[in-house]
Amino acid sequence: MEKSILSLSSGDAPKSTPNLLPCRINHNGSIEPVDSSFWDPQTGDDGAKTVYFRGRKLHGITVKLPEGYRGVVASAAPKVEQKKSTFGDVEVVDLMDDEQSRTPQGVMNVQAEFDEMVVWGHESTADASVDPYVRGMEEWLTLADQIHTYPTAKK
Amino acid sequence: MARTRATKGASSTAKAEPAKPSSTSAYSLPPEAKNPPRFFIIPKTATPAARIVTLQNPRYAKPTRYLVCPEAGFFEFNKITPPKSAPRSWLLDNARLEGGSKGGLDAQVASNPELYVATPIDPLFLLLPALATTEGCKSGDDAKGSKKRMFLSSDDHFDAISEPGGHLVDILAWPSAREILVSRMDAVCASVEAGDEQMYRLSEKRLVEEILSKAKRMSEKGLPKSLEDKFVTKALEAPILGIRSKPSPSAESKSTSESSTPQADGADSQSTVSSVETSASSASEASTVATSVSGDSGANEVLTSAITASEEVIKLQRLRIAFNFICSSYIAPPLAGQLKELVSKSSSVDFTPLDEYITQLAKLRQEAMAARAPDYSRKRALDDEEEYERAEKRRKKEEEDKVKKANQSRGVKQLAKINTSGMKKMSDFFKKKT
Repeated sequence: MEKSILSLSSGDAPKSTPNLLPCRINHNGSIEPVDSSFWDPQTGDDGAKTVYFRGRKLHGITVKLPEGYRGVVASAAPKVEQKKSTFGDVEVVDLMDDEQSRTPQGVMNVQAEFDEMVVWGHESTADASVDPYVRGMEEWLTLADQIHTYPTAKK
Repeated sequence: MARTRATKGASSTAKAEPAKPSSTSAYSLPPEAKNPPRFFIIPKTATPAARIVTLQNPRYAKPTRYLVCPEAGFFEFNKITPPKSAPRSWLLDNARLEGGSKGGLDAQVASNPELYVATPIDPLFLLLPALATTEGCKSGDDAKGSKKRMFLSSDDHFDAISEPGGHLVDILAWPSAREILVSRMDAVCASVEAGDEQMYRLSEKRLVEEILSKAKRMSEKGLPKSLEDKFVTKALEAPILGIRSKPSPSAESKSTSESSTPQADGADSQSTVSSVETSASSASEASTVATSVSGDSGANEVLTSAITASEEVIKLQRLRIAFNFICSSYIAPPLAGQLKELVSKSSSVDFTPLDEYITQLAKLRQEAMAARAPDYSRKRALDDEEEYERAEKRRKKEEEDKVKKANQSRGVKQLAKINTSGMKKMSDFFKKKT
């Protein structure tokens, strides 16, 4: 997987909200069936979220993704026969096909999309100035835009 | 962190601790997914034609994942991971799925808490390793130490960074991506036309200008708070000269200098001191030197910042930090060093006010340090060192002991417990009889 070119599968993906739990769960994949008695977040009047997770009270804050970005939940698809790349230009497609003999192509299946996530913390909400997720997104995305914009008009 | 199995309810076990469903549970855990979901944040501008590819990282020369879109350009992935002390995991809720038409998605957990954020990257940086390479240069005047880079076609430059495992070749097959790359190359290179082909050679001057303009953009909009706090406010903070009426000289002056000085945490009234200081420095613009070391023996404490940074100095410091940040994030160390040298000579930005301020500041800090009771500061400094040495010694000894113990046989170990006092030593038997 590490060496192949990956594309993100397109198509309508359901909207969901990822929750960042303050604990490690040693499992990957589906946890169906989920009952509302196990995970039932409540939103208070002031927008604060609380949930009881295995008897522990968690507090959450909703983190909206910045403008112009979307969240994607994707997993590497099992090896499938290579699809033709979706370029408009026929010549390019041909070229790509030549390359495919050398470079393996992979697909990341987009399972869901999200435009906000909830960061949960024990006893208290995650501190925005310390939490690596909140800070990483807010600070870095704006900064990266500033650093890396370049004139595109130049030809 | 949390001991989630404090109560072993049969039903809740299946959900929250899915790895070990109890046999009495009404729920059974679906098998683990082979390809766990990963969480990405990608720009909306990226089209479905975007690909995740492996390219050479310009700073570390290692293959790294990038997101390349023929239209939106290049993006790098930043991995956000929580510290080990606070483990995290993802829980993807299914409750809010839209309509059942698509069948929806199961609720999922992912033990891997990483979040990949795709942020734009200037492809210029990706090209730099190729442009700045010194291989294939004229080696004739090596002795002078001034290697001259050759003019090369863009293809030759691309070849230089096409790793065997990398995907640059594939990207170059997209006309629009190639166009972007070439245009970025053009921005920092001197070019000549040779026949029908354009040839490029890196021009350090243009590169510095380019990065400087990036740094300017960065500093004008204001650095992010963490950077600003750590490298601008702290770095320019002057030592506080607090004059008290009577107490021992050691308590008189406090230095709220950079955290690298071991004394910084010693002062008890530090928090109030620094708050006073920052407000003072932002309020006054003149960079006057108020060396108030005079014997002001008033009854109450007088705190003055010895020096305040002017607006201009702060701006320059911001710019320098931004520049260094770009250099240390995206440019290979040798080239970054060159650039830093070049920028200090650059005509477009004059760092002299900042440099002057910093030398002055360093002097003041030294004075402030000297003003403290010398034995006091030395003792502290020694303590740290000594402690480190002691810890090092202990560690070494423990290691040695371990090795010794591991080599001992069982018999020897058991015999070692026997009380041998009053017994003849083994060597006694081999002595010459007298």
